[in-house]
Amino acid sequence: MHKTFVVAKHEFLSTVKTKGFIFSLILPFLIFIPMVLSIGIIPFAASEMPEVIGFVDESGILFASGDFVKYTDFDDAKGALIAGEIESLFTLRSDYLETGKVRVYSKTGPFNNAPTRAIETFLITGLLTESNLEEGIKKRIKEPLNAERIILKENGEVEEGGEVGIFLPYAVGFLLMIMIVTSSGYMMQGIVSEKENRTVEILLSSLSSGEILNGKILGYGSAGFLQVAIWICAGLVIISFTPLSSLLQVFEISGLLILTILYFILGYLLFASSMACVAAPASNMNEAQQGAGVFTMLAVLPLMLQGFVSTAPNSTIARVLSYLPYTAPVTMLMRLTQVNVPTYEIVASLSILAISVVVMMNLSARIFRTGILMYGKKFSFKDILSYLTD
Amino acid sequence: MILLKNGQNLKVLEVRNITKCFHSKVVIDDLSFDVKKGEVFGLLGPNGAGKTTIIRILLDIIRSDSGEVIILGEEPNESVKEKIGYLPEERGLYQKMTVLNCLKYLNQLKGAKNSSEMINFWLEEIGLTDHKDKRIDMLSKGIQQKIQLISTLIHNPKLLILDEPFSGLDPVNVKMVKDILLDLKERGMTIILSTHQMDQVERMCDRILMIDNGKSALYGTLEDIKRNFEQSLFVEYEGHFKPLDGVKMIEDYGKYAEISLESGTDPQKVLKSMIDTVTIRKFELKAPSLNEIFIEVVGDA
Repeated sequence: MHKTFVVAKHEFLSTVKTKGFIFSLILPFLIFIPMVLSIGIIPFAASEMPEVIGFVDESGILFASGDFVKYTDFDDAKGALIAGEIESLFTLRSDYLETGKVRVYSKTGPFNNAPTRAIETFLITGLLTESNLEEGIKKRIKEPLNAERIILKENGEVEEGGEVGIFLPYAVGFLLMIMIVTSSGYMMQGIVSEKENRTVEILLSSLSSGEILNGKILGYGSAGFLQVAIWICAGLVIISFTPLSSLLQVFEISGLLILTILYFILGYLLFASSMACVAAPASNMNEAQQGAGVFTMLAVLPLMLQGFVSTAPNSTIARVLSYLPYTAPVTMLMRLTQVNVPTYEIVASLSILAISVVVMMNLSARIFRTGILMYGKKFSFKDILSYLTD
Repeated sequence: MILLKNGQNLKVLEVRNITKCFHSKVVIDDLSFDVKKGEVFGLLGPNGAGKTTIIRILLDIIRSDSGEVIILGEEPNESVKEKIGYLPEERGLYQKMTVLNCLKYLNQLKGAKNSSEMINFWLEEIGLTDHKDKRIDMLSKGIQQKIQLISTLIHNPKLLILDEPFSGLDPVNVKMVKDILLDLKERGMTIILSTHQMDQVERMCDRILMIDNGKSALYGTLEDIKRNFEQSLFVEYEGHFKPLDGVKMIEDYGKYAEISLESGTDPQKVLKSMIDTVTIRKFELKAPSLNEIFIEVVGDA
């Protein structure tokens, strides 16, 4: 048993010390930060810039004011738009009051959004000027909607975190899938590299194949877990500096968190031992990945059906996916962030998953033992079946 | 059963009637043999004869279908592995690790602790102390082979199983390895040596087992075995000689030949007929080489 930990510690350290691992820690931030900035800051900066809007009014309602510049001649206005003196241009014909038709011109380019809201407000102001309404009502007409969004979950409870809460199941499912896939990937590489290094027999002459397999599963799993944990912590720190910090309310120690960890661990063990079965007989990474592709698909499946599961968390499909061991972790977590799933379903799902884990780890130990000694032989399902009986 | 003499266990290994099948093909067929403490035991046989399978059974990497194996007084299990040093034929090291760290890790897997002393000792024995912090993939194949050898010794095993320990080594390194093995033998180490290099076997092994198709073909001391074969003529010559009578087999290297005689053949007559056709530089009449015996015993299969 103790040798399992020798292997685990070795695999863990050798993984986290590689440049690849350290790079993968920073990579998401290298991608996400610019993305967040460009989505958040650039439009923000753009909207801060005063936009001079020109108009040509044949109906006589509008007067120039503030950012709105009046042109009497259309060609002048057009010229000003092309020259960049004004950001956009709109025109009203004499029959505007009856038709409401307005032509809005803007120049081609990356940010060619027309400021339709500003124009609308300006038009309303212009239309109201003539009326006899009270100032208060005029103001209300100009800004009728000061919305507070409340989203209700299926059980009638208020969705915490507002719209952002909707992303939570997706985010959790996504993270779980990433962790499972990357850890299992490391593990497959770790198994295949024993063959490439030709160290298999030396290992087998020192410890049992079960100890080797478990050591690798534990070691690489810890590395993957560490990677995701770092991402999450760093992500949380960054988020707390942005307006989205309300998200942080959701991360309380709760039953949900414990279930998350349970599903993480069981889900990883299931995928890792399944992939070990495929990696052991493989001679190189290509073969291993071909075989492992099936499991990766299964991990991703709930995410692909995410729309389904989110909108109908208690539907038959969602239920079925919660019981099937390979899709259970991701599906169940997605459902749990949406609704109160009945306890019996959680217990059943966990039990099926736990039993599958035990079965799979047993199976994989056997396949690992025989498969790891195979060199350069393209294996088929028939071969794998015969390994089980050996 | 274990033979006791003056309270000492004389047998390091006892194999009794083991059989092993893979996919309904019989790979080891009712095989029995012993290995005595302190001897160098040769395990020989053509490719595919079952040598690696036997070794894996001894190491509990695979299990025999039937029969019994007692190794170092126990049945093969995890703890016995820690007392055995194994150099497999398919062998390698962790390319991306340093020499020192690799040796430490392999040693830990054998359940040994505090290995620095032993590691440094053996690195010095093979003259590689300066390389201990280098990455393994930076070193030549020959050096890696030597490191592989000492990786089997660091945890102080009682039994060594070496599969083709000399492969890939130049004569200087072959000598170094051979000297190490002989030194170990003198200190009481038991060594099971599996190799195709018959000359090494002849010089180093006390007893041998030759298997063919999973069955025992020859077993015992070299002297006993050779007694069962007619003597051979060893000649160094120039020219081409014509077919000879009374000869079982000729192993011809162009300038050198080993001629196995049929029983009853007079070696003098064979020599005389040879002198007529070739120039003989040197000749010797003696027991056949193990190489010759090997070919004769398994060659027709």
